[in-house]
Amino acid sequence: MKRAALAAIPLVAASAAAEPLRLRGDALATTASPAGLLVLNADGKLEERLSAEAVVWMAGSRTPGEDTTGDVLVIAVRGRSRDGKTNARLGRFVSTMGALRPVHVDGGSVRLRLPHRFDAEAVAGVPVVLGLGTGRAWDWVAGGRVSRRIGFGGSVGVAYAQRRDRGVRASEELGADVGAELNKRTDVGARAAYDLVGEGLAEIMVSASHRRGALRAEAYASQRSPSHLVPATSLFSVIGDVPAQRAGGVLTWRAAPRLDVIGDLAALRVDDDLGTDLTARGRLRLDDKGAGQITGELRRSGVDDHAWTGARLAVRVPVSRQITLSSEIELIVPDDDRRGAAWPWGLAAASWRCADWEAAIAVEASASPEYTRRLDGLFQLSRRWEGP
Amino acid sequence: MTRAIWIAILVALAACAGVLGLKRGGSDLFPHRAHVTKGVSCTRCHAGMEKDTGPLHLPDDATCVSCHDKPHDTRPCLGCHAPKDAIAQLVESRDHLKFDHGKHLTGAATGNCMRCHKGVAEGDAAMRPAMATCFNCHAHGESRDARRCETCHKNLAEEGTLPASHLAHDGNWMREHGARAASSGDLCSTCHKESFCADCHGVTAPVIPAKLRLMDPLASSVHRANFSARHALEARAQPGLCTTCHQQDRCVSCHLARGVAGDTAGSPHPRGWVGLTSSENLHGREARRDPAACASCHGGAGEQLCVSCHKVGGVGGNPHPAGWSSRQPLSSLPCRMCHPNGAR
Repeated sequence: MKRAALAAIPLVAASAAAEPLRLRGDALATTASPAGLLVLNADGKLEERLSAEAVVWMAGSRTPGEDTTGDVLVIAVRGRSRDGKTNARLGRFVSTMGALRPVHVDGGSVRLRLPHRFDAEAVAGVPVVLGLGTGRAWDWVAGGRVSRRIGFGGSVGVAYAQRRDRGVRASEELGADVGAELNKRTDVGARAAYDLVGEGLAEIMVSASHRRGALRAEAYASQRSPSHLVPATSLFSVIGDVPAQRAGGVLTWRAAPRLDVIGDLAALRVDDDLGTDLTARGRLRLDDKGAGQITGELRRSGVDDHAWTGARLAVRVPVSRQITLSSEIELIVPDDDRRGAAWPWGLAAASWRCADWEAAIAVEASASPEYTRRLDGLFQLSRRWEGP
Repeated sequence: MTRAIWIAILVALAACAGVLGLKRGGSDLFPHRAHVTKGVSCTRCHAGMEKDTGPLHLPDDATCVSCHDKPHDTRPCLGCHAPKDAIAQLVESRDHLKFDHGKHLTGAATGNCMRCHKGVAEGDAAMRPAMATCFNCHAHGESRDARRCETCHKNLAEEGTLPASHLAHDGNWMREHGARAASSGDLCSTCHKESFCADCHGVTAPVIPAKLRLMDPLASSVHRANFSARHALEARAQPGLCTTCHQQDRCVSCHLARGVAGDTAGSPHPRGWVGLTSSENLHGREARRDPAACASCHGGAGEQLCVSCHKVGGVGGNPHPAGWSSRQPLSSLPCRMCHPNGAR
């Protein structure tokens, strides 16, 4: 699959050359493992209704004797009928169907726009796993969603998907979702997924936001049951339903044309333990376009004795049209100090952009539960090509 | 004292007014209203509208001095008398939209530029009409429904315009998008390419996307900044969230690759993890909270470790809570590990 995909990149590129073809290569080198990463990205349009995209990567290790690895993130062709009522995808892509969890799949999907603003979509394929393997016989996922559009971007829908690992039912979920713009200022969205194998609510999320002048408020709540999210073939799916809940609100205030102040307060509940997640953030744009910015953040988060307090400051300053300097520092103080009383982290970077080239160099320094002291260097070089 | 604080705040605001964007450069704004009230027609300055090709229809210095015959400066007029972001907005519009002023000048909008450019009298911030203004005349409902945005937009993904109302990417969009994008997937795909979702939700994603944007610390990202230090604490606060993107064996594969815990030399578990009394049995509570974390190491053949105690008649007792049920047949995995031959 990997070799076929790599071979297919030029094909995608060549076939897409009829319309502007975009190619991008990113090379990342770090002193940490993996030592090198090369990402190749190509996309373009055969014609107005047919497009293709591919992203492949290769990573090298700094440890002698270790193999170079690589994989395909996306390789997909997307087509659409002349009237836009039928869309189809073929290849490797991430399928998102309403309330069901996104699935990375090698397969195909189709979406039909039906009369009276109804839509039907279906996906089928083989779930993607890391690397190459021969044990994927009888692994498959299939599902569908029926929905009705509401207003401009919203819809209400019901989705179903079943996944089999080696022929055995690993998950079977039924989902319901709704999202709509109630008026120009108010949006709502909700989704819920029910585990049909373990018979229980797997996940539910609700969000509603309202804008008025310089203020935007959002209220949200979610519940997630991890035992319904592991495959039904796992022993860990049988040890009971202990959902984690979270509810809170976010207030965003444009205090000045270039200054945003954001407050996020949430209550958490995991089993019998309660906790909070409190964030206060200020964002100052140094110019009208926001090319230069300063962001400061204070945060208190966690449950039980696994809570932490942190502060973060990030700055990005363009010093010329080509050169941008940036820096980010963070200090975390965990309540439980057995693995360090404080975990400081900092990154300083300089980037250069000229025509189709981009380059960046950075130094990262930190102390963490893993290392008492650590210093890493990062270098990135990117090149972009655009076809005729 | 309170008065002194307020005075200090006002002084600070005044001092920072430019930085905060409160003080706008007066000479940057073009006095459109003054020209209109003097009877100057739009096309007298913005010439060539009837043939909407080539450069923008911004007046050159010769046009200005045809009336303002004594310019106060030798520099280009629009260098000072037009905000740079307004011109940038016009350049973006020309680059990304399929639009022909000529067709509009011969239609219903003949001689009435203000019909679309409503905000001009108030300043230059709204030179580009809002999309809703287009829909006042053009019935694009069918195109919008079918997400055929290319009727007007050349390439939305390249354009980079954020939604103004529905699905506005404000606040904490990284968290919010899960609830919002569920019912608007087709709308998201009008701007975002396949790799946008796969960067995070793709099983084969090579590296966290933030690593590939190291020059941009302000870009929103799930795992920004010092995430590797915090990840254990964050995972405990939101059990099950990691599995939205990561496969079950992600924890152990990463820990093994980095040589952190999970190795055969030492246990990653704290003292009192497994014991015969309830006070020494932390593992049961933690396993119920986030079974995916356990499955990362103890999945597959590793499950035998669990069922060696938690089996019918075993010292670990019944792992099922009261009222537990499943549609899995007893003959299938994982039931048959404890219930051989379908025994209850």
